[in-house]
Amino acid sequence: MPSEIFNPNPTIFSTKPTVRKSDFSKQSLWIDEKTQWNDNPDEPEPIDQDEIFDLIRSIDDPEHPNTLEELRVVSAPQINIKGNNILVEFTPTIPHCGMSTLIGLSIRVRLLRSLPDRFKIDILLKPGSHQSEHAVNKQLNDKERVGAALENPALLETVEQCLAGAGRRGHSE
Amino acid sequence: MASPSAERLVETWMASARDEEIEETVSEISNDRITLLNVVKALGEYLTSEEDQLRTKGVEFLSLVLGRCPPEKLSRQSALKAMGKAFVGGYIFLAEGEKDPRNLLIALAIARVILIEFDISDHVESLFNITYCYFPITFRPPPNDPYGITTEDLQEALRGCLSASPLFGPLAVPIWSEKLTAGSPATKQDTLETMSLCLPVYGAGLARVSARKLWNLLKLEIFQPTDPLTEEEALKTTRVLVETIYAHEEAAIESEDDIQGLARDVCEECINILREPEKNQARSAIKVLCTFVTTTPSVSRFTLSHAVPHLVKLFLDPGEVSNRAPILLLLADLANSARDSMTKEVNKTKHTVAPMMPYKDEVLGVVSAGLKSPASRIPALSLLRGIVWTKRLLTDQELGYIVHSVNEVFQSEEVENDDFSDSAVLEVLTAVSKTAPRHVQEQTLPMLFNSLPDRAPPRNASSERMKFWRILLALKALCVHPELFETLVIRLTTKIDLICLPTSPPAIDDLEPDAAYAHSLLKTIADALTAKVDAGHHDVAKYIERLVPSLYNLFIFAALQDLPGIATGHRLVREAADIITSVTQCVPARRQRDFVAGTFKILSTGEVGGIFEGFQKLPPGTSLSLFNESASSFQKNLLALFSAGVVTAHKEVLPSPPAINDFLDQLLVWSITRTDHYLQRESAWHLISSLVNKHAETANQFLDDKLNNFWQQFIANPAISSEQRRLAIEAWVWISKALVVRKDPFVARFTDKLFEVFGDDAISWDAAKALGNVASADQILTKRNRAVVKILHTQKFVNSILPRLILGAQDSTKSPHEQTAYLVALTSMIKATPRAAYAHEMPALMPLLLRGLDLPDFDIRADVIDTLLTAAGDDISEKSLVSEHASTLVTNMLKNSMWDEMPSVRVRTAALEYLSVLPSVVRYDVLHPMKATVLRELAKVLDDPKRSVRKEAVDTRLVSSQVKRFRRLTVHSFFSTIW
Repeated sequence: MPSEIFNPNPTIFSTKPTVRKSDFSKQSLWIDEKTQWNDNPDEPEPIDQDEIFDLIRSIDDPEHPNTLEELRVVSAPQINIKGNNILVEFTPTIPHCGMSTLIGLSIRVRLLRSLPDRFKIDILLKPGSHQSEHAVNKQLNDKERVGAALENPALLETVEQCLAGAGRRGHSE
Repeated sequence: MASPSAERLVETWMASARDEEIEETVSEISNDRITLLNVVKALGEYLTSEEDQLRTKGVEFLSLVLGRCPPEKLSRQSALKAMGKAFVGGYIFLAEGEKDPRNLLIALAIARVILIEFDISDHVESLFNITYCYFPITFRPPPNDPYGITTEDLQEALRGCLSASPLFGPLAVPIWSEKLTAGSPATKQDTLETMSLCLPVYGAGLARVSARKLWNLLKLEIFQPTDPLTEEEALKTTRVLVETIYAHEEAAIESEDDIQGLARDVCEECINILREPEKNQARSAIKVLCTFVTTTPSVSRFTLSHAVPHLVKLFLDPGEVSNRAPILLLLADLANSARDSMTKEVNKTKHTVAPMMPYKDEVLGVVSAGLKSPASRIPALSLLRGIVWTKRLLTDQELGYIVHSVNEVFQSEEVENDDFSDSAVLEVLTAVSKTAPRHVQEQTLPMLFNSLPDRAPPRNASSERMKFWRILLALKALCVHPELFETLVIRLTTKIDLICLPTSPPAIDDLEPDAAYAHSLLKTIADALTAKVDAGHHDVAKYIERLVPSLYNLFIFAALQDLPGIATGHRLVREAADIITSVTQCVPARRQRDFVAGTFKILSTGEVGGIFEGFQKLPPGTSLSLFNESASSFQKNLLALFSAGVVTAHKEVLPSPPAINDFLDQLLVWSITRTDHYLQRESAWHLISSLVNKHAETANQFLDDKLNNFWQQFIANPAISSEQRRLAIEAWVWISKALVVRKDPFVARFTDKLFEVFGDDAISWDAAKALGNVASADQILTKRNRAVVKILHTQKFVNSILPRLILGAQDSTKSPHEQTAYLVALTSMIKATPRAAYAHEMPALMPLLLRGLDLPDFDIRADVIDTLLTAAGDDISEKSLVSEHASTLVTNMLKNSMWDEMPSVRVRTAALEYLSVLPSVVRYDVLHPMKATVLRELAKVLDDPKRSVRKEAVDTRLVSSQVKRFRRLTVHSFFSTIW
């Protein structure tokens, strides 16, 4: 861990569970029969932005005991899916945040491990949110550089630490 | 020179280890004939011996003598006083550098005595050195340690020494500082715990002088915590520090100006941080302030008097509007601490004033402002919950005002309750209803009832439907209190009557929305009732005279119309039956007698009257004919209501066989031949089963007849339809269950019969599954329903059947079909019973269960995987069993998790779950050869069409990829395959 703390006192936001609109409209007439779609095993449920957000919301921040969701680094509306292309935008807590590359790398590794290989994933800083936006974006989306970064055992270990709690998906445990 | 007497005693004890020598030594010391110093000198060669065993004995002797010497002899004795310093000096020389944990434990015990009893003024530093040098204890007992000395034993002994003398204080502070700055988390926690123990002993003076220094150390652990445990310890130590400094001046403190030093400084420091309430550090600062609130009353008052007004002011600052939510949360933390700080005192005196009392009005003002904005609503409710739960804080009028404001929140919200404030609203209202139900009764309930529509909204109006569901959820949560429940029953039954029997026939043909609405009202009553039964409320029984008769009346009236109505559908009948069961479970025998007699009368004669009359007037002479061939489906559904009120009956009010045999026979045949819905059959079987269970002593004739005649006629009879044979098997299951739970020997004859049809292609699987159903638990044959239930009945039954099933499934002389039936019976039985009942058979079961994974029935497959999951290795034998079959298991589970091969979502999910458990059960060298395959195959599952399966796949794949040592390789391979 680097000794320099980039943002010693970030703002913490409250979080809430995801409620899918599509589930709501499928409501049954009967109160004890909440989910009709369970009856229909053939109806596919395509991967949507909520699902991708669920995958990355509980990644831990490298600097603080908070998740990326709590720090509003990532959010569901910042995720876009078009066919097999996914765009994930994230917002560092401060414009000079030196952790941005690590955060982006953690998101990338999490999605690589969790999504089918038909997807092409772009991970970009929110425009105007970082002073070296271009450089970070370039690094995060360059296959060779990401691969090289993950060959570094110390860096990989740090990424694994950030991902350790990612399976919580917005729940406390 | 050592006195000869002391030397003699020591020598003799070394040889004999008898108690006498100890006693004699102690009495010699007590009578001033020898001195402790003589003893120590006589022990000299032992205490300094290089041989561990001799040294141990020496220390043991000294410790036994010291332990038995009366304390006053140790300190008052003039000889010891004179020699005290020499003794202490000698002891220090002897004990220094001890490393054997056994000796150390004793040496520390001696040191504590010396520290407390002796004059150590000249030796403080040496004693400090020989004790604090062990701090912190890093000893870890070796595996299978025969002496059983634990880390905790040594820690406790050492802390006993460190906290024995206030003279250690000035020396200890630098050590603490060193350990806290450089130590590991374990060392930090140990240091903090030791500090908490020592600070009160070292005294207020030292605490005051070192307060700044100590706080700077603690602050670091609180504001930049290594882990939550250390943080918690640091807060505890902070509390002890503050208490040590301020406790003894409590009486002298008159105004808050008298609070000086640490408490004042830290409070100001924290409040400064609270100027940015939305930031991370504000959370740490409030934890410190909350800790202060739980210390001495004056520090608590001081803290609240600064923190609360500060936060209130901040809340009202127009520039801070966006930070209102975090401010309210901080206030809620303070309110909770203030509440908790008084719990220990509130019982002692009647005059305790709630610490939040002076700020009550301001806080209530802040709450009502917070409730008005959606962004700060939940935090405001948290704060409200904190103060509502505080005793002696709010007046009745204020509670009324709170209920009013919270009601407004509930009403103002539209259907989209996606911030989950409803549960917070209900928590506040429930809290109020415990002490002042009147406010909820008078304000909240009318509001809720008035929002319920008279008729259901149409089928496509899902948001309207969500609205009344939300209200019903609120009613269910609130109306558990006896008074509130009574209102609920009156209002909802009136509504149900109006929906089910409208004065004008409904204009539209679609009855389902209204039926579903009435059903949801019944379910609300049923759920509130269940909560009351669980809580042991006494008012439940009285509803046998109110609610229960009106339900019978309504449903009988509706069924007699012989037209499809609302109160004729099986869902509503089932819900009403649940209510009847809950109520009758709580009714004593004498009040059940007439009710049960009336039920059997109506079942046998069909005459409706007496207890079933009510609001809906039935024409005179009306009779039911639900067992007739021509009975309508609606009438037949009514059996569920009658059965529900009787399965809970006390044995002594139930009619008994053989007098009731004809009725039971008729009912049994009816359930198989004349019913048209599962509800009807099930109700019949429940009734029969409950009766047989309670009256098994006199049921021989009935049971024999089933074995000799019924079996031949309805089950072992290929001439009748398979459908009817299946139903007959289900009835058979219920009769068998009645006997199993009371460990009746008759049951073997019933279950033996099932094996006879394992070769019958038409029903073999049904008979096989029936065995599992016999073993499974149910809601009818329970203690609550006054069934005769003996302990370990499942165990006994499984033991009697399982060996036979295993043999049968392994027996290749049987036809494959019959073997499969045994396998199906086996899986069904195991699924139905707790693991303890079959764990001892696992080695024989494992290969059979693996065969079960190939059965074409998906439910069975999923059951098998569930069984494998519960049997996946707590103990070593199970782990090795799983390891043995690991490769087959992996292949099989992978196959069952592929969506293009396995249509059942349940099987796919279970298979993935099993794969994610495997790495924790099986050593990695066993799994490693399969790892690459697993990861590759699971990558396909990530594209499963079902969300729940994908979620499981992500987690499983993560676990698989973390099988140790291969992590790097895995990530690398991702990149090469994906990019």
